[in-house]
Amino acid sequence: MTALLDIRGLTIRAGDKPLVSDLSFAIRPGERIGLIGESGSGKSMTAMAATGLLPPSISATGSIELDGRQVVGATDKVMNRLRGVAAAVVFQEPLTALDPLMKIGRQIAEPVRRRMERDGGKASKEAVNREVRDLIDKVALPQPDRIINSYPHEVSGGQRQRVAIAMALACRPKLLIADEPTTALDVTTQAEILKLLDRLVRETGMALLFISHDLPVVAQVVERVIVLKNGIAIEEGPVGSVFGKPHHDYTKTLVGAARLFDEALGTTGS
Amino acid sequence: MMLDLQNVSFGYSRQQTTLNDVSLSVRPGVSVGLVGESGSGKTTLLRLMLGLIRPTSGSIRFGKEILDTRDSSFMQRYRRAVQPVFQDPYSSLDPRQRVIDIIGEPLRSLRVPGDRTQAVAEALDAVGLPVDALRRYPHEFSGGQRQRIAIARAIVARPQIVLADEAVSALDLSTRIRIVELFRTLAERLTLVFVSHDLGVVAALCEEMVILERGNVVESGKTRDILAAPKHPYTQRLLASIPRMPA
Amino acid sequence: MSPVETSVSTQKRRHSLALTVGLLLVGINLAVALLTLFWTPYDPLNASGGRLEAPSLLHWLGTDRLGRDLLTQLMIGARTALLVGTGAVAIGAAIGVSLGVVAAFATRLADDVMAATLDILIAFPTLLLAMLVVAASDSASLWTAILALGLAISAIVARLTRILAKRVLRQDYIVASRTSGTSWAGVVFRHVLPNIWPTLSVNFALQFGLAVIAEASLSYLGLGAPPPNASWGRLLQEAQGTVYTAPIGAIAPGIALVALVIGMNLLADGLRDIADPTRGRSR
Repeated sequence: MTALLDIRGLTIRAGDKPLVSDLSFAIRPGERIGLIGESGSGKSMTAMAATGLLPPSISATGSIELDGRQVVGATDKVMNRLRGVAAAVVFQEPLTALDPLMKIGRQIAEPVRRRMERDGGKASKEAVNREVRDLIDKVALPQPDRIINSYPHEVSGGQRQRVAIAMALACRPKLLIADEPTTALDVTTQAEILKLLDRLVRETGMALLFISHDLPVVAQVVERVIVLKNGIAIEEGPVGSVFGKPHHDYTKTLVGAARLFDEALGTTGS
Repeated sequence: MMLDLQNVSFGYSRQQTTLNDVSLSVRPGVSVGLVGESGSGKTTLLRLMLGLIRPTSGSIRFGKEILDTRDSSFMQRYRRAVQPVFQDPYSSLDPRQRVIDIIGEPLRSLRVPGDRTQAVAEALDAVGLPVDALRRYPHEFSGGQRQRIAIARAIVARPQIVLADEAVSALDLSTRIRIVELFRTLAERLTLVFVSHDLGVVAALCEEMVILERGNVVESGKTRDILAAPKHPYTQRLLASIPRMPA
Repeated sequence: MSPVETSVSTQKRRHSLALTVGLLLVGINLAVALLTLFWTPYDPLNASGGRLEAPSLLHWLGTDRLGRDLLTQLMIGARTALLVGTGAVAIGAAIGVSLGVVAAFATRLADDVMAATLDILIAFPTLLLAMLVVAASDSASLWTAILALGLAISAIVARLTRILAKRVLRQDYIVASRTSGTSWAGVVFRHVLPNIWPTLSVNFALQFGLAVIAEASLSYLGLGAPPPNASWGRLLQEAQGTVYTAPIGAIAPGIALVALVIGMNLLADGLRDIADPTRGRSR
């Protein structure tokens, strides 16, 4: 099977400074991959490059094929068609990803309508509304009537992230890119969102690119991980072997630190 | 008893309180973790203990004295004894002051006698930064180093208690582990009150902990006991929510 | 980190060029202004040649309608401009910064009242306000103009100070300073003012330029400083009737005015970059 996202020799630069160097990896349909790195590792830059969202001052070279199309150097028109169809993104802070002045129902309806028109159908008001309800149901948002008529600031952080996920799902993408989707959330909320993401990915058969600095969080939702440090992929493999038997010193430090806090908690809860 | 909170409540209006009837004590040498998620009231609790706001009801005692923010001679003594470390090392250091002035501020403002430069240099050494950092500005340091500077400021006047507010949450994992290590060393000679949402960090640092939920203390006691057998449903849910490393 | 960082060196060079040019323009103006206290080429009040003479070796910029040396007038105008700009900004800064800092600390209600008052004051055109003050005073003098412009500037400075100070007061280092035992006055002088200074000083330069232009406008309208205080504005007004026959009379004060205003802005930009330790260095 051909890869959904195929990155080869990707280098991202801001001026002369490399942010990502010669990165290569591929995600096949339905695969779940974690990109691990600390601040400045280039993990978010990679996600932005994959969806053609890099700011103009930052340049990418190499090859990124998303659903068989070249992203590097692609025009906005091409990318607009690819975004949503091939890949959708969920960001860290849902409050900035949502329009503060638009009711949540309308925000979810927008990508739903776009997708329906794209599929050649007429987007009737009833059909759109039905789909919006369906999505709200899918991401397990409580009190759908209230949510639809609320503004983003009127609901909690966890609920906002559910709305952002619903909007990503509205496009029925083949690949979901989640960039630190739970970092801004409370622990109990994080657990719920992770469970939701895991269920949705399994149900829809989407591929998942999960970007995070948090090792145990990544371990919850992906099968394979890539460890980035200063823009270089230093280790790659199945979660079990990378976290169980890390080779690179940096990975060892990270895994060791995560295990230390883990062990301090004892054996309850797991 | 060093710091004793008795039935402390705080609210901006009578209907809505952010803290309800909280009682807890900090004993010399016993580090305490105050654990809670957003809306738990842990930040309000910290501000109360720092004497930045006054409780709506209840009292806070420091030794035998009652914490009274209007009593300036008491506050001067209290501030020497209780010092904070904040979450964001980018916001907690004045970008336009040199490190020597940042760390020296408590000494100057609290009129601590003795050689100020000497004391600042000792504090820098205690947090593992070179002396040549003195003449530099905060932006020349990484996040972890900046947090070390903030910790040096907190310990320079040799306080009895350090109140840390999510002091490692903004740091990368590899940096976080080193700052936790530093706090652990500090906890050998002063009492640490560590406010955090991160049970793992609190478990690694504190002998005792207090779990807060929506302004109420739901559980408190020895960290070991609570982790082994959490009694309150919220504590149980909190513990179950923490993602764990695969075996 | 940021893409800006890579061009730091070129940026730095540009900044130091700005500073040099700014220093030069303002410096020349200051030197000329000081010189006029002791010496001018000719008597500024009396005719020293024929009417509207063209530039010559005797009169480098020619003479005006009354036969007075234009260069002398222009030099004294530099003194007036500098005095007006400095005086107005000093008054505006003293009142504005104090009010702004107080407003930043004030309770919600007091702050709202102050903010609204300032907004109303600012909505009032500076020039109109100055004209009212000058008209209300018995005799038009340079000092009434300076005072009027200073008051107008103070409202703008106060509003800016209030916003900037509020932003600084939200930072953790302010809480850290409080728990270090520093008094509120100490917090203001040690932390708030140094941190809002870079933005304020650039604004002062801007206000300086506006004050110089406003004074020229007042003089142009005949509400400015009376003779012997030559002002560029009055020179422009006097040259109005003869702008086709003797254009130098309008061009010279115009260039002087623009040069000073631009110089002041460049100087402020350059000074801000020097004063800010976080600029032009890597994190």
